[in-house]
Amino acid sequence: MKFKILPILTVLALLAVPAFGQSNRLTIAGSTTVLPIAQAAAEAYMDLHPEINISVRGGGSSVGIASVMTGTANIGNASRHVKTKELATARENGIELYENIVANDGIAVVVNPSNTINGLTTAQLKSIYAGEVQNWKELGGTNKPIVIISRDTSSGTFEVFNKLVMKNVPVAASALKLASNNAVASTISNTPGSIGYVGLGYLNDSVKAITIDKVMPTKKTIQSKEYPIARTLQMYTNDEPTGLTKKFIDFILSTEGQKIVEEQGFISLN
Amino acid sequence: MKKSFSIILLVIIVMSTNNLIAETKLKMEIWNRWTYHQIDGDVTQNEMAVKRGYFRLEPQLTNNVKGRFNLDFFSDNGSPNGAGLKMKYAYLDFANLLPLKDSKLTIGLMKTYFGTIYDWSYPTIDKDPSDKYKFVSSTDYGMGVSGYFPQGYGTYAVAVYNGEGYKKTSGDINTDMNYLANIRVSPITGITLGGSYMFKSKNDSQATDREEYNMIAGLGKFAYGQATISAQYLTKTTSYPNDTLSDVTTSVVSIMPIYKINSKIELVARYDMYDPDTDVDDDGYNTAIGGLNYYLARDSKNSPKLMLQANYQMKTYEDDNSDDESTMMLQLRWIFSGKIK
Repeated sequence: MKFKILPILTVLALLAVPAFGQSNRLTIAGSTTVLPIAQAAAEAYMDLHPEINISVRGGGSSVGIASVMTGTANIGNASRHVKTKELATARENGIELYENIVANDGIAVVVNPSNTINGLTTAQLKSIYAGEVQNWKELGGTNKPIVIISRDTSSGTFEVFNKLVMKNVPVAASALKLASNNAVASTISNTPGSIGYVGLGYLNDSVKAITIDKVMPTKKTIQSKEYPIARTLQMYTNDEPTGLTKKFIDFILSTEGQKIVEEQGFISLN
Repeated sequence: MKKSFSIILLVIIVMSTNNLIAETKLKMEIWNRWTYHQIDGDVTQNEMAVKRGYFRLEPQLTNNVKGRFNLDFFSDNGSPNGAGLKMKYAYLDFANLLPLKDSKLTIGLMKTYFGTIYDWSYPTIDKDPSDKYKFVSSTDYGMGVSGYFPQGYGTYAVAVYNGEGYKKTSGDINTDMNYLANIRVSPITGITLGGSYMFKSKNDSQATDREEYNMIAGLGKFAYGQATISAQYLTKTTSYPNDTLSDVTTSVVSIMPIYKINSKIELVARYDMYDPDTDVDDDGYNTAIGGLNYYLARDSKNSPKLMLQANYQMKTYEDDNSDDESTMMLQLRWIFSGKIK
């Protein structure tokens, strides 16, 4: 048996369909918080440019950044900033992760609408999530056990909440860890005694947002940095965006794009 | 020393563990391989085997403490069952314990941060050069600090090890520790330079058969677009401080280009030059590998879930009396992972 490896490799290489460099297709992946902005902007952009095909999927901030690093997405959405470990891996593999800030956001703390509590301090919120306070009556509410809803550790929203509220104190083991903002909002709306946190875009009538340190998360309080759990939302690209990627990000940063940001319940950069 | 390790470990666990959280990652990896080996045209091996299997648990004990526990299953013709089982990793990472941003302290059966062995992802079916040419074992019992430079400009590690490795425990046993330092920098995106130094020893310092090894690894990597080329130079000087034997210097040069055709297919080549004693002529051999990796499925983070690897390997000896060897290998790697919350 004599191997003829070169012809085999050549045939296989020719069979491979090149996925790179298709100028009318854009792939976006990542944070579920940024997802509504990306989806609404993609629809509006495709309406304006019918020849363009933009696919948008979630997965979480870590997935978004990893997708840019492996070249499987042109844009990686993230509700947190890139980590040093990710930067190091990217640099070594010839990828320069470039941060495009597209919106401001606050992480709203939400409870079931039947809850009589209207506000907490950051310290009280931390105590709840650390498992130190376990009943609403300890905070002036009704005699009802607190059901803690959190996000899983691959979520950018969790990382920002962990940094700004928990300050690296672990979330109680009893917390129910969910994979998306939607899942948190839906569970809170169906569970009396529950508490959770979501991006502003996920606030609706089925959940009740409460004040933190006597400040309600609104456009004004987030832009003024008065609300304590605020952040920016990012779209990462491999180096400064060019071509269609640049055109799409420029569209989100335009007046029309920032209007979409506001329509989705987030805070524009302007 | 092992008692001291245990005490340090206990103190650190108490310091770091004020509220346990339970989140554990599970991972299993299996390598199914067909190997067809010839020497000077004669078939010496034609077999299919489950060559390797890994089962991994990664418990996140607290926000700052993470563990990794790995069981390594491997084909072993010397075993009555045809297989062996070893614990490959059993370590704890302690983050935010030291006043160094993005650093961690690791204790236990941990990675050996030498050359590329600690982040080798088997782009060829063959082992990492430091592993293949018996410079270091991929894991060993020890304690070390590793981390990242700001803005991702590189990584560093310093560690102390027993020196026995994880497979042949008691092979290199003595009362001395082994010492390692490793640095890797990426001053420009896509260009990485690195180096490792490790001091190892075998047998006690007063023994006549004492051996000391000074090992250095130099690394260069260039990544641009779909292409990557990496080169590694390894050198090991073995000295015999209690004997009159001369020092022996072993060297390896390994060059590996990879070209990604698309998100599913990449071509890989590798050329190794191995010289077991630089003072002796024609005692080494060169290995050329050409291969293809086909990623049939990936997970949500784009890590491989199912991949097919095809490698053709030609080994040529400098000694004209030794026959060339060729090996064809096909390997199906399948990986599944999950998280227990």
